[in-house]
Amino acid sequence: MKVLLIAQVGLLRLARDRTNVFFVLLAPFLLILVLGQLFGGQDGLRLGVVAAQGQLADRLVTALGSGTRVTVTRAADEAALRTAVERGEVHAGLVLPASYDASLAAGRTAAVRYLIRRTDLRSHDVGTWVRSVVRQESARVLGVSPTATVTVSTAGRAVFPEGLSAFAISAPPLLLLFTFLTSLTAALGLVETRALGVSRRVHASPTRVGTVIAGEALGRVAIALAQGALIMAGSALLFGVDWGDPFGAVATLLAFSLVGAGAAMLLGASFKTPGPPISLAMILGLGLSALGGGTVPLESFDPTLRTIAHLTPHAWGYDAFAQLVRHDAGFVDVLPQLGVLTGLALVLFALGTWRLRRALT
Amino acid sequence: MSALLEVVGLRKRYKDIVAVDGLGFAVHEGETYGLLGPNGAGKTTAISMIVGVLDADAGEIRVAGRAPDLATRAMVGYVPQQLALYPDLTARQNLRFFSGMYGMRRAQARTRIAEVLELIGLSDRADHAVATYSGGMSRRLNIGVGLLHRPRLLVMDEPTAGVDPQSRTSILDSVQRLTGEGLAVLYTTHYMEEAERLCDRVGIVDHGRMLTEGTPSELGDPDLESTFLRLTGRALRD
Ligand SMILES: Nc1ncnc2c1ncn2[C@@H]1O[C@H](COP(=O)(O)OP(=O)(O)OP(=O)(O)O)[C@@H](O)[C@H]1O
Ligand SMILES: [Mg+2]
Repeated sequence: MKVLLIAQVGLLRLARDRTNVFFVLLAPFLLILVLGQLFGGQDGLRLGVVAAQGQLADRLVTALGSGTRVTVTRAADEAALRTAVERGEVHAGLVLPASYDASLAAGRTAAVRYLIRRTDLRSHDVGTWVRSVVRQESARVLGVSPTATVTVSTAGRAVFPEGLSAFAISAPPLLLLFTFLTSLTAALGLVETRALGVSRRVHASPTRVGTVIAGEALGRVAIALAQGALIMAGSALLFGVDWGDPFGAVATLLAFSLVGAGAAMLLGASFKTPGPPISLAMILGLGLSALGGGTVPLESFDPTLRTIAHLTPHAWGYDAFAQLVRHDAGFVDVLPQLGVLTGLALVLFALGTWRLRRALT
Repeated sequence: MSALLEVVGLRKRYKDIVAVDGLGFAVHEGETYGLLGPNGAGKTTAISMIVGVLDADAGEIRVAGRAPDLATRAMVGYVPQQLALYPDLTARQNLRFFSGMYGMRRAQARTRIAEVLELIGLSDRADHAVATYSGGMSRRLNIGVGLLHRPRLLVMDEPTAGVDPQSRTSILDSVQRLTGEGLAVLYTTHYMEEAERLCDRVGIVDHGRMLTEGTPSELGDPDLESTFLRLTGRALRD
């Protein structure tokens, strides 16, 4: 099968280049690890606190920060605190009611609320500390047994729901980044095949141009899919990332890989020498990812920027994975994103095929 | 002897340059035909049209009596002037790839690749990347790819440029042996003695036109080089 052979040689050439071993096999996992640490942190424990001004409230906050392991930061209000908890900026949050001082002075019970992401193991450490400080403090204030109540509360639809591991936040944008970047840099192989005169030689053989184009297209898809699947499977095995509904996840991976492969076809067919396309691959690979939620979560973009971001395939992939990974969505829920990605892939493949046919004949 | 390749009135123009201007000749079975001409004479352009990688503006090409199509492509081996190989792959991998492009089956290709590697003297380096080869070794592999699928017509564009005289002789002797089995060879060269020794007939071209044609002895008065100089007013090499 000539189509398979052409695709296979593309992959073989990629595998023989040792720098690819680093960029394709190791770099994605290093970054998932590093960014996961940034989101999830193994350094000191951080507790966010919302408390009104008041002598007793201040004393509790001071007591909470008196240990060496826990750093206390104040949040403006409960909504800000909840966001900080959800994003893993703090490991847990404590909300003192506005009436804290008044209630205690009047001899009434004051309920403080403790916010955590349930599976964030660090929040249990913080919880142990918070409980002991609150217990001591109530004993001090009232001279009686503790009356503080600890409740867990997550209201509304959380952007980063409880139970989400830090790696589950860092892995999807990195999958999109590397799948696209690897596709584009690998497109250099297609430019070289023509620059080396191998294409001309194949053209002299009893091989149709359509067969060459199909082989190259298959090679592009295989490269994109291999990179994406490696990250998906690797992050699940190494970091326990749960990609959600398998149908939805694989469909999103496939649709996005097709976009990367189509872009690679177009890039590879559009240049005769390797210099410009490699620069363009880096600029597009990194730039589109950054714009599409790869460096700063899309949720923190303002509406205008979010609209602009959705000019990138990455933003659509990001949305689809956000639905699947964070909100238990299924295949049907991500159909709109899959539709956009598939449509874009078709356009890119059509353009790439047209340019490649012109370049080969 | 029937003509394996017939070229009639071939023409190609690049913008303001007429590279090939009504060229015509024929190559018969078992014959080695040398196309001689100074730099820019139009040899590569003509050969590109003959092997089907370039469309002609006018003229006719017939391979084994047929207009070129996929079937005639399978009868022709092409050795381009510039190396056309994957430098990051080994000789064996390159040969396997091209054997596939010529529709050879795996098992059949495996034995044929071993034969060709032997023929071009690269058996012991077959599994090294082409990038590590000397210029002459790469040239030999370039020729080997053209022989792989046992073509009836081998078209070589300056196949031995940059190869040391000793390897040149050995490669061309191997090709000569194949002509004994009926292989027709069309090739261009800048080595006059080589053409004199190997070619059954030569054609001298310049400005895309055939100036004269004949056996080396017919044209060799006093020798081929003098005839060439007289006709083209130029040395074979700039
Ligand atoms: N792609 C091209 N575009 C424009 N002009 C070209 C192109 N290819 C060749 N030419 C011109 O056509 C003429 C014939 O070139 P060609 O390469 O066929 O010569 P040649 O006989 O093979 O020369 P050499 O012995 O140097 O290889 C030259 O004037 C060359 O400049
Ligand atoms: Mg030439």
